[in-house]
Amino acid sequence: MSVIEIKNVKKSFEGNVVLSDISFNVEKGEVVCLIGASGSGKSTLLRCINLLEDIDEGQITVLGQDIGKLHNINEYRKKVGMVFQQFNLFNNMNVLDNCMLAQTRVLKKSKEEARKEAIRQLEKVGLSDFINAYPATLSGGQKQRVAIARALCMDPEILLFDEPTSALDPEMVGEVLNVIRELAEEDMTMIIVTHEMKFAADVSDKVIFMDDGIILEEGTPFEIFNHPKNERTRQFLARIIS
Amino acid sequence: MSLENCFRILAKYYPSFLLGIRTTLIVSLSGTLIGLVIGLLVGGFRAVRLDKTAPKETRYLKNAIDISLKIYIEFFRGTPMMVQAVFIYYMVYTNIVHWDKMIAAVVVISINTGAYMSEIIRSGIQSVDPGQNEAARSLGMSSMQTMMDVILPQAIRNAFPAICNEFIVNIKDSSVLMIISITELMFQSNSVAGTTYRFTETYFVTAMIYLLMTSMSSFLFHHIELRMNHTKTSFPQSDTNFYSMKIAKEKTQ
Repeated sequence: MSVIEIKNVKKSFEGNVVLSDISFNVEKGEVVCLIGASGSGKSTLLRCINLLEDIDEGQITVLGQDIGKLHNINEYRKKVGMVFQQFNLFNNMNVLDNCMLAQTRVLKKSKEEARKEAIRQLEKVGLSDFINAYPATLSGGQKQRVAIARALCMDPEILLFDEPTSALDPEMVGEVLNVIRELAEEDMTMIIVTHEMKFAADVSDKVIFMDDGIILEEGTPFEIFNHPKNERTRQFLARIIS
Repeated sequence: MSLENCFRILAKYYPSFLLGIRTTLIVSLSGTLIGLVIGLLVGGFRAVRLDKTAPKETRYLKNAIDISLKIYIEFFRGTPMMVQAVFIYYMVYTNIVHWDKMIAAVVVISINTGAYMSEIIRSGIQSVDPGQNEAARSLGMSSMQTMMDVILPQAIRNAFPAICNEFIVNIKDSSVLMIISITELMFQSNSVAGTTYRFTETYFVTAMIYLLMTSMSSFLFHHIELRMNHTKTSFPQSDTNFYSMKIAKEKTQ
C-alpha cells in the first residue's frame, strides 16, 4: 500500500481552477519532486496534503487514512512535517525553543527530552552552536535548516517541502539541499516542490511535471530530464536549464 | 495670569494636587492593566478561527459570543466615558449594591479601555505573518496553543506602542470621572480653583501636571520599547556564547 494516494483531486479558488484531476501515489521511502512553472498548482497540492487547504473533489489517503474524514487534524499533522518557502520560524523564540515547542505541546514530552531531541536534530543540520540565536539574526540558509530540524523533531513519517530554497541567496542553496539529500539517503518519505532541476534529478525517485493544474508527465528523473515525452515538458526544461 | 501666582498656588495647595495625582495614577494604571487583560481575552477570542472539523454547536456558540463582544466594543467606543461612568455607577448603586466610588471608577475605566484594547490586540494579531500560524499548525499544535505560544506574544510586541498610548489617554481621560466625585487631579484642581478664585493659574498648574505625567510615561515606554526591539535584532546572550558562535560561523565557512 502506498503511503500517499492522491485520487482525482480538484481544487479551485473562486472559480479559478488550480488543480484539475490530479492523481499519483508515493511509496514508503520514496522521494518525489514536483516541478513545473509558477502557478501550475504544485504548492497548492502540497498544502492540500497537509490540510492547509481543503480539496473540492477527489480523495487523499495518507498512511491508510482518508484525510478528508479525519477526526483529529492535529494528530494527523504531527506525522506529516512541512517546510515552507519563507521558513516561518517562530520569531519570538530562539532556535532551541523553536525546535522544542511542538515537542512539549503536541507530543507532551518533558522539557529535558525535548531539549535533547532538539539538539540532536540541530546537530544533524549543523546548527547546534546557534541554539540561543533568534531567527532575525540568522541567514536564510540557517533559518531553513532550523525549520527542517524543527520538523524532524516531531519524528514525522512524511516530510513536505514547499520550495525550500526559493527564498535563498544562491550561495545558501547548497547547504539546505545537502540536508535534504541526507534525509533522502535515510529513506525519509518526501515530496519536494522545487525549481532546482539538478537537485531534483539527483535526489528523487520520481519526478512529476505539473502544468496548469494537471500532471503532464511522471517518471524517473532519467525519463523526465533526458527523454521528456511531452512537448511542454521539453520547452520548460529547455528554458530552465539554459 | 502670572507665573508667580502659579507657584504660590502650587506651594500652598500641593498636598491637594499630590492626592489628585495619586488617584489619577491609581485609576488610570489599574484601568489600563485590567483593560489590557480584557483586550487580550476579547481580542484573542475574536481572532480565533475554528477548524473546519469543529462541531456545529461550537460554531454557533462562537458566533453568538463574537456578536455580543462586537456589541460590547461598539457600545463602549461609541459613547462618552463620562456618560458610561454616571450610567454604570448609578445603575449598580440603585439596583444592585451601594458600591465604593473608587471601585466604580476602576470598573468603568477598565471596561472602557478593554473595548479599545480588544481592537488593538485584534489588529496586533492580524499584523502577525500568517506563515507563523501555518507553521505552528503544521506541527500539530491546536489553534489555542498556537495563539498562546506563537501569535499573542508577537501581537503584543507589535501592538505595544498602541497599548502604551491607551495608558496616556487614560491619564487624561480619567478626569471625566470627577462626575462621580472621584478625587482625581481634575476634581482637586476644581476645589483649589474654587477656594483661590484664581481659575487661570490653577488650571495652568493642572495642565502642566498632566503634561508632566504623560511625557514621563512616553519617555518610559519609549525605553521599554527599545529594550524589546533589542532582543529582536541582536544576540540576547552572554559574550561567551557570542564568541563561540563566531567560531562556529568561521568553521562552517
